[in-house]
Amino acid sequence: MIKVDPQAWQVMVAHAEAKFPNECCGAMIGRIDGDMKNVVSAEPMENAYAGAQGARYELRPEDLLEADRRARAAGLDLIGIFHSHPDCDAYFSKTDLENSCPWYSFVVLSIKGGKFDHANSFLPNAEQTAAEKEDLIWPKS
Amino acid sequence: MAKVLIPTPLRQYSEKQDSVELTGSTVGEVLGALTAKFPDMRKQLFNDEGKLRSFVNVYLNDEDIRYLKKDATPVAAADTLSIVPSIAGGSAGVAPPPLASLSNDEIMRYSRHLIMPEVGMEGQLKLKNASVLLVGTGGLGAPLGMYLAAAGIGRIGLVDFDVVDFTNLHRQIIHGTKDVGRKKLDSAADTIADINPNVKIEKYDTMLSSENALEICANYDLIIDGTDNFPTRYLVNDACVLLKKPNVYGSIFRFEGQATVFSYPGGPCYRCLYPEPPPPGLVPSCAEGGVLGILPGTIGLIQATEAIKLILGVGEPLVGRLVLYDALAMRFRELKLRRNPECPACGDHPTITKLIDYQEFCGIPHHEPPPAPGLKDGEIDPVEVKEMMDRGSPFLLLDVREPHEYLICSIPTSKLIPLGDLPKRVNELDTATEIVAHCKSGVRSAKAVDFLKQAGFKKVKNMKGGILAWSDKVDPKVPKY
Repeated sequence: MIKVDPQAWQVMVAHAEAKFPNECCGAMIGRIDGDMKNVVSAEPMENAYAGAQGARYELRPEDLLEADRRARAAGLDLIGIFHSHPDCDAYFSKTDLENSCPWYSFVVLSIKGGKFDHANSFLPNAEQTAAEKEDLIWPKS
Repeated sequence: MAKVLIPTPLRQYSEKQDSVELTGSTVGEVLGALTAKFPDMRKQLFNDEGKLRSFVNVYLNDEDIRYLKKDATPVAAADTLSIVPSIAGGSAGVAPPPLASLSNDEIMRYSRHLIMPEVGMEGQLKLKNASVLLVGTGGLGAPLGMYLAAAGIGRIGLVDFDVVDFTNLHRQIIHGTKDVGRKKLDSAADTIADINPNVKIEKYDTMLSSENALEICANYDLIIDGTDNFPTRYLVNDACVLLKKPNVYGSIFRFEGQATVFSYPGGPCYRCLYPEPPPPGLVPSCAEGGVLGILPGTIGLIQATEAIKLILGVGEPLVGRLVLYDALAMRFRELKLRRNPECPACGDHPTITKLIDYQEFCGIPHHEPPPAPGLKDGEIDPVEVKEMMDRGSPFLLLDVREPHEYLICSIPTSKLIPLGDLPKRVNELDTATEIVAHCKSGVRSAKAVDFLKQAGFKKVKNMKGGILAWSDKVDPKVPKY
């Protein structure tokens, strides 16, 4: 289960809505305690995908490395990646799966007509052939 | 000794250490030492062929080793190695990983599909992975919803804000007598779930509008228009053109219907056929003109057939052809339709780039002016008419409805002259006699009163609310229709 704190959630949704109709991406920083992951802060990152970004995103490894360093310095960990699906449901697409990594939670935010609609979290396997849905808790206003 | 930073998720394999000091003169040697020390980490980093997994990047200090000498990159004692995943993705227009198999129950259910090579397992999976939006769950939506559900469409969206009424039941077979008064959405969803519980139903309890149409339609592979008004037809058309989704169109009136597929790549859209809406009131709705109850069955199933064909990718789609159906002659005709390069929606230089105000476009005022309270000049309340009858006042009750309506119900002592016959039968009336005209709801009798006044009748009144109001206020035994 992954729980996102209100402040981090606000950053994620605002970033996703601001980048609409393009996809956004970023990192989630927090703590892992047994089965419970807690996101305490979110870091928006630049979508480095070279082509049209309406349905694609790419994270720069350097940015992730930097985020990981900052997290360590703060006594926290990089625990997840978020990205948005503009005018599309929050599923884990074939493209998502084939470019995923099994080490993190992947939170997908569905943004419809520029507004947040719903979200899901996924745990892909190492072979990039399947992703398991993970319980996601975000603050409901 | 070089330092290797261990990412959080891999620390479960490194005895919880966030960094490890290891010896080796190249990156390859250091990583070899790492997996020798922590064997369980090996399958996280390397695939079965011993190569680094596609999502694993290794950085020497701030440099990606791919741009150095890869595994052979030399490592000095003060260097730090980092393991960084490469991550990308995106909806990319790719549907979620398709459901790749049918359950045994589904195989049994769809067996008559599966044994046809044109459908087969591949086609049935296409249907299961397909999503269809039905705009309206009325006459056309009823057979559409039921047959598409039975055929195994995976996800069906329903848009309706209406409530089931007795007058719907002669054609809207997705709703039953027990459903009168329920929301059409709930009643339709129950019927669909009963026909095929494998269907995922998504309900939109709203009127499709410029504000929500793109958002709702974007979630579906194709849109089926089952509505009966012009603003929604143009709205569905424009939304489909903007979203590049097929719009399976059907329309019905009395004994005739039409069907085609709009907004298909290369094909025309509704605006190519009708660039402008008709003036309000020119084309009567089914409520005004009537409709043969089984007609929407025929047209709705032409739409359902086209939807299934588009999803399966078989046959010749009904694109660029408008099918005209005449139930009385039992004849189908076909008109050729072409995409208009000048079309404001789907033409070469479209001017409609977002949804507009479709009520205004169709000349319909946003809010009907509220009816004036009480009786207008020249109107009389049914209760007062009854009192005149009881008093024995001399007057003529003139029924201006059609003969077939008179057979449904009538008010005793009334004289029937249909509105259309009034000019040639006006000599049957006496200007000296007080006349009260009535029809079903008061609209046609108001026209009759206007006509009679122009013809020199001074003592004419319109019974407000027609025979429907008579049934409500005076005699509930008179049926409403």
